Amino acid sequence: MNTMLDERVDELLEYVEEKCLWQFFSRAWDRQENIDGVLDQTANLLAGHAPRLATPMERLFYADAKIMVDDLHSRFPWISESGEAEIRQLLDGLKGRLVENVITKSTNRELNQHLY
Amino acid sequence: MPMVLLNCDTDIPERQKHVYLKSPDDDPATCLPVANAPTIPGTLSERGCAFCGAKLVIGGVLKDAIQMIHGPIGCAYDTWHTKRYPTDNGHFNMKYVWSTDMKEQHVVFGGDKRLAQAINEAFDQMPDVKRMIVYTTCPTALIGDDVKATVRQVMRDRPDVDIFTVECPGFSGVSQSKGHHVLNIGWINEKVGTLEKEITSEYTMNLIGDFNIQGDTFLLQKYWDRLGIQVISHFTGNGSYDDLRSMHQARLSVVNCARSSGYIANELKKRYGIPRLDIDTWGFGYMTDGIRKICAFFGIEERGEELIAEEWAKWKPQLDWYKERLQGKRMAIWTGGPRLWHWTKAVEDDMGIEVVAMSSKFGHEEDFEKVIARGRDGTYYIDDGNELEFFEIVDLVKLDVIFTGPRVGELMKKMHIPYINGHGYHNGPYMGFEGFVNMARDIYNAVNNPLRFLAAQDIRDPLPLIMPERLREAA
Repeated sequence: MNTMLDERVDELLEYVEEKCLWQFFSRAWDRQENIDGVLDQTANLLAGHAPRLATPMERLFYADAKIMVDDLHSRFPWISESGEAEIRQLLDGLKGRLVENVITKSTNRELNQHLY
Repeated sequence: MPMVLLNCDTDIPERQKHVYLKSPDDDPATCLPVANAPTIPGTLSERGCAFCGAKLVIGGVLKDAIQMIHGPIGCAYDTWHTKRYPTDNGHFNMKYVWSTDMKEQHVVFGGDKRLAQAINEAFDQMPDVKRMIVYTTCPTALIGDDVKATVRQVMRDRPDVDIFTVECPGFSGVSQSKGHHVLNIGWINEKVGTLEKEITSEYTMNLIGDFNIQGDTFLLQKYWDRLGIQVISHFTGNGSYDDLRSMHQARLSVVNCARSSGYIANELKKRYGIPRLDIDTWGFGYMTDGIRKICAFFGIEERGEELIAEEWAKWKPQLDWYKERLQGKRMAIWTGGPRLWHWTKAVEDDMGIEVVAMSSKFGHEEDFEKVIARGRDGTYYIDDGNELEFFEIVDLVKLDVIFTGPRVGELMKKMHIPYINGHGYHNGPYMGFEGFVNMARDIYNAVNNPLRFLAAQDIRDPLPLIMPERLREAA
């Protein structure tokens, strides 16, 4: 990853850490589902595509992604100038960092309990 | 080393794993306080018991159910009337308290008959009430009373009543958090899906983890009404027993207190496919985001924007008046768990306040992940703090105000630090836009109240140095 991309992923990560409760759901599989679902919808919206709203979970991810996209545009003017491939790269980088922080490296002892 | 061993903990070094001081270069993997763990021998913390978590926090909020405590009278009294959750039917839940009043003879010979008698007496005395929650307590669990068998028999004898049993004696967990868990899982297993209610809107949701503290639910309900959203069930602020049996009918579960009530939202998702949306209902920015997300889910964004614009126009100028005067004030939050992460950034953004120390009684590690992500560098994050730790932290951080419960609040008053009830509020509600103005007003009044200085002064001294110049003149 180049330095500018790294820095931008850091900025996005800082935003998500501060604002987004969906990254901290109870179990590892819930967190993974939310990270994938919200960031995929976010990439979709940032690229100017119509949201996917066919299922209740898609509507949920859209609800979180919509607020996130509005915030990203207002906080990070550079995101409006990024192309679709660059956005995908940024959000893939963000996804990797989030998975590492809140799943892989998290010392939360409840993440892999099989019952709620 | 990000984890801190306080001076007062020299003899109980295990406490180091529970106290974190945040700094910018910390690796998150090495600085998550251990939480939801047994209290360490040698420390005396301020946790409640598991029964309390089920009854005082969740079940006892319901507006139309008798709360039968099967145990000694103290278990009933100490979980009654200590929290302010009004209802729209005359505060039935706060007017009455029910107990089987177990004595030594019942412990020796068994309490089942006494329980059956108490249940029947309660229904006979209150013929309009047909719903009840029965709780076991430490003694009745230890002697092995078969509470569920007794309840089944009463329900056979009285086919018009419905009773839910919570088997959660005080000793069954490390804190009140266990009681939240037992009630959540018990309710979804036994009661959800047993009743269908009339659907009046295409937009339906459960509002989970709001307990109508000083009218929080009433305030939020005005928003949902204006948005045209039908709340199928309130879990459990101003909630109705039968509404909670219909939780499966909602299209969305909106969660505020994820600690006490996240379990049932997870189970509703797993068993019924109802998505779980977590929001914060305290703070202008958070409340705005929450409304926007709910409206985006239902596709009613325009209604949401209209509501937000009206509320901001009405309340934001008042909030800003307080923000100007509260800039840089230093605050501590020592409550249960979730309010740490709900409040720390909200008071910083909306009121200009710095939260410099936070302690959680029953939060889990998930709660610390949230609060550390949102909280400031240089702030202390403490799990299951004890009194000596509180004194030491207060010395270290220099507070202007603390949000905590009445017990720690009394300690703080003796240290002449303004205390605001972080559980039951001082002059709430605190949720929503109007509520956050109320919270700002309580903080402003607390930090400017001359009483704490007057209480500290030696009455023989006409100009005590402890009092700031401005307040000395006023006095």
